[in-house]
Amino acid sequence: MSMSQQAQPAVDRPPASGPKRTDGRTARRPLPLRLLARPEVGVFLGALAVLVFFLITAPPVRDGSSMANILYQSSTIGIMALPVALLMIGGEFDLSSGVAVISSALTASMISYQLTLNVWTGVIVALVASLAIGAFNGWMVVKTGLPSFLVTLGTFLILQGANLAVTKLVTSNVATDDISDMDGFGQAKKIFASSFDVGGVQVKITVVWWLVFAALATWVLLRTKYGNWIFAVGGNKDSARAVGVPVTFTKISLFMLVGFGAWFVGMHNLFAFNTVQSGEGVGQELIYIAAAVIGGCLLTGGYGSAIGPVFGAFMFGMVQQGIVYAGWNPDWFKAFLGVMLLGAVLINLWVSRAATRR
Amino acid sequence: MTDNPSGTHGAVLKDSAPAEGGPLVELRGAGKSYGNIRALHGVDLQVHAGRVTCVLGDNGAGKSTLIKIISGLHRHTEGDFLVDGRPVRFATPREALDRGIATVYQDLATVPLMPVWRNFFLGSEMTRGPWPVRRLDIARMKATADRELRNMGIALDDLEQPIGTLSGGQRQCVAIARAVYFGARVLILDEPTAALGVKQSGVVLKYIAAARDRGLGVIFITHNPHHAYMVGDHFSVLRLGTLELSADRSEIGLEELTNHMAGGAELAALKHELAQVRGVDVEELPEESDLTAPVATSPEGTP
Amino acid sequence: MDRSSRPRSRGPAPLVAVAAAAVLTLAGCSSSHGGKKAEEEAANAAAGKADTPRMTVALVTHQAPGDTFWDTVRKGAEAAAAKDNVKLVYSADPNAGNQANLVQNAIDQKVDGIAITLAKPDAMKGVIAGAERAGIPVVGLNSGVSDWKKLGLLEFFGQDESVAGEALGDKLNTTGAKKIICVIQEQGNVGLTQRCDGVKKTFKGTAETLYVNGTDMPSVGSTITAKLKQDSSVDTVVTLGAPFAMTAVQSVGDAGSKAKVATFDLNKELVKAVQNGTIEFAVDQQPWLQGYLAVDALWLYKNNGNYSGGGEQPVLTGPAFVDKSNVDKVAEFAAKGTR
Repeated sequence: MSMSQQAQPAVDRPPASGPKRTDGRTARRPLPLRLLARPEVGVFLGALAVLVFFLITAPPVRDGSSMANILYQSSTIGIMALPVALLMIGGEFDLSSGVAVISSALTASMISYQLTLNVWTGVIVALVASLAIGAFNGWMVVKTGLPSFLVTLGTFLILQGANLAVTKLVTSNVATDDISDMDGFGQAKKIFASSFDVGGVQVKITVVWWLVFAALATWVLLRTKYGNWIFAVGGNKDSARAVGVPVTFTKISLFMLVGFGAWFVGMHNLFAFNTVQSGEGVGQELIYIAAAVIGGCLLTGGYGSAIGPVFGAFMFGMVQQGIVYAGWNPDWFKAFLGVMLLGAVLINLWVSRAATRR
Repeated sequence: MTDNPSGTHGAVLKDSAPAEGGPLVELRGAGKSYGNIRALHGVDLQVHAGRVTCVLGDNGAGKSTLIKIISGLHRHTEGDFLVDGRPVRFATPREALDRGIATVYQDLATVPLMPVWRNFFLGSEMTRGPWPVRRLDIARMKATADRELRNMGIALDDLEQPIGTLSGGQRQCVAIARAVYFGARVLILDEPTAALGVKQSGVVLKYIAAARDRGLGVIFITHNPHHAYMVGDHFSVLRLGTLELSADRSEIGLEELTNHMAGGAELAALKHELAQVRGVDVEELPEESDLTAPVATSPEGTP
Repeated sequence: MDRSSRPRSRGPAPLVAVAAAAVLTLAGCSSSHGGKKAEEEAANAAAGKADTPRMTVALVTHQAPGDTFWDTVRKGAEAAAAKDNVKLVYSADPNAGNQANLVQNAIDQKVDGIAITLAKPDAMKGVIAGAERAGIPVVGLNSGVSDWKKLGLLEFFGQDESVAGEALGDKLNTTGAKKIICVIQEQGNVGLTQRCDGVKKTFKGTAETLYVNGTDMPSVGSTITAKLKQDSSVDTVVTLGAPFAMTAVQSVGDAGSKAKVATFDLNKELVKAVQNGTIEFAVDQQPWLQGYLAVDALWLYKNNGNYSGGGEQPVLTGPAFVDKSNVDKVAEFAAKGTR
């Protein structure tokens, strides 16, 4: 191992204070422009625009508890959007993330109820199952070299079917039984689905988890080896492998991270609503991906941030609830949602174009 | 940007070099078959510290196979592959890297959207702190990258810029500087000038010379004899998987090298036949007697 | 530079090991409340079985995967099949074209009777005529109360969605509601829209529609909360499915509203909620009865030539109200998932 050697720099030459040559390509751009080029700044401005818009048009939004409600809606999208964004930066997709949330909740609920165990048993088994699903996705993608779009589309269908069939088989219903009177439920609810008081406003705990996870993801992405590897495997997998980045480990662990997110949101669904319907979750994966993309993550991988998807999810939650707060004709709901999102994405695009233009 | 000359991550090259004079890497009659297709056969090659060994050849001559054997991507199926005089068989590029054999591929193994300094340390990041909070030592990495690049004569204003915004030559140089910093004793450069313009090629050749002067053994793969002759100490020409020519700089001139690349011995043999045909200008083709360099004996001819 | 010092401890293996260990630890601690054990204390009564010759009945619905409602319909059909010595073939597809193909499939199998739902009656015209040519009796259930006769079906078991909505609207008038919201969990669904329209028709106060994303429960919750914050004069939330009613109760709490919750359809959690008063009442269309009657009717027709309603009138299985006054009776059946 020629690498693990002396504590001396390779070359003892004094640091070159040589001529400062630049060839025009490397000229520093002014700070404001460089700031705008950050992936999360565009979406931040987009989200801000949406917020201001609804503050003006929908008076109830100005209320603290309305904001808490919007943040709650955003957090359940946002917690999943984070690992989905990291995975996307790592160059892969996970279409099974929406139904995986429900798979996890179903697992926990059925294990606890059918075996009459403390709910924590179900919670732990669900975590193992969720991580296993993620590992399977990652392993399949890495080993077969197939596009993750295809592999996870397969998992998506498998899980959608299994959610239904297993639930039907075990409970002879298509929804799980109420577990709210079982041991450990109160405790678990405190962690996954409680509220706390902030100046008279009830804030859901998922909002806190969301921000904690976002801070953690940002730190990991920008300040750790692992974060460096995520960018590398998404930006150029072969180059990353050539310089010794453990590509297989990085990709599989990213899929498992999505599994972890699915577990967490699944537990929230379970402990917030006591029962789970096996048909839920379909279509959510696109919302997670949308939040990540609006948040400035490149669909092709290698670029993005963890803070961006936070604003992306907030924008989604804000638009979704803002339309209701504004009291617009609900028949147009989906159309409004689409227009607002498109508008926000355009602002995002315009900002990043303006920033990279020289 | 603070400089940190007492960094612990500088790898040391010269101390681990073998006894003076011995080749760092040597192939003896090495070859490689893929099933029943023989891609490379009976190749002899020596790489010495502080010397540039040029491997020339047309497309399909077996250059890529040669690189893959030395860099650990493929294993040779015949002959011997020695590092520091001991036979080796590498299972992964990592093993080759650990023995100080670094390869700079045509695609440079850089991640275009990542900043220069992150690319420089990719896969071998500097960290500090105990595990749960073990984090990148960004200041030290930037300082080191800046210093190493300047040592190679590359000055960049902003190490935060994505490496994709650098010119092809600059990227090539960053990749070379990285290999040098991470303890390469033998540097394999795969067609580093192929996609570059004249000026950029010149820059890259300068860095190849710089790497040689720092005591590295360089394997310079190219199909451009002019580029090879500018920095090379030894020239090997591959043709159809076998060694056609192996000559030191003292034994061969640029013109002859060019002739060998252009078809060499075969072309000379053809000259007589072509001379019979009216309308084919054979005046400029080399005579067999002009080719004075030691032509490698074809193994097929000597059973 | 030590390249071999990859943080392998961050890999999945230790995590899995920890999780597995935790499972083993927790497996020993079972719940002393609730769970399957509590449920199993309820015993089932077995019905007798007919000795008529074995026959095959196909039940083809427009069920979307995972819908609790259809599950109950199917259970009713299975109960009748078991009692009547009928082999039941169940299939479903929410896409009308695919549903028609499934019916054609049943005709090709030469079944003895077909029960279908008419969510999109026009798409079924062709295959119903085909069944007639093949001499297979067809009965309708659940959807299509206004079309079954026109299409030549033998009989129909179900609830007129508009009628059910109107009944709920009337009932709300008696509770003194002034302003309601009707929560639709699937925008563009005909049956759901008919229910809300029915409510609006008879309800004397103001009624508004609210669309929610039915596949995402947290989103359903916060959208209802948002609506209640936006309009504090809402005093009743009407949901069109049992699970959404349970979520609406939480939203009412989150919004600090005093609104009551009423709902269409029933499940066992909902029965509990009616019992303890968190939900005012539910309109039940008795899906179990629809499935049961459809299969039983085909058996009767084959073995005794009977048909309900004389081919003129539908057999209405709803609306049946479940509120505090009768919930205890319903509760024991709902616990088994048959009501």
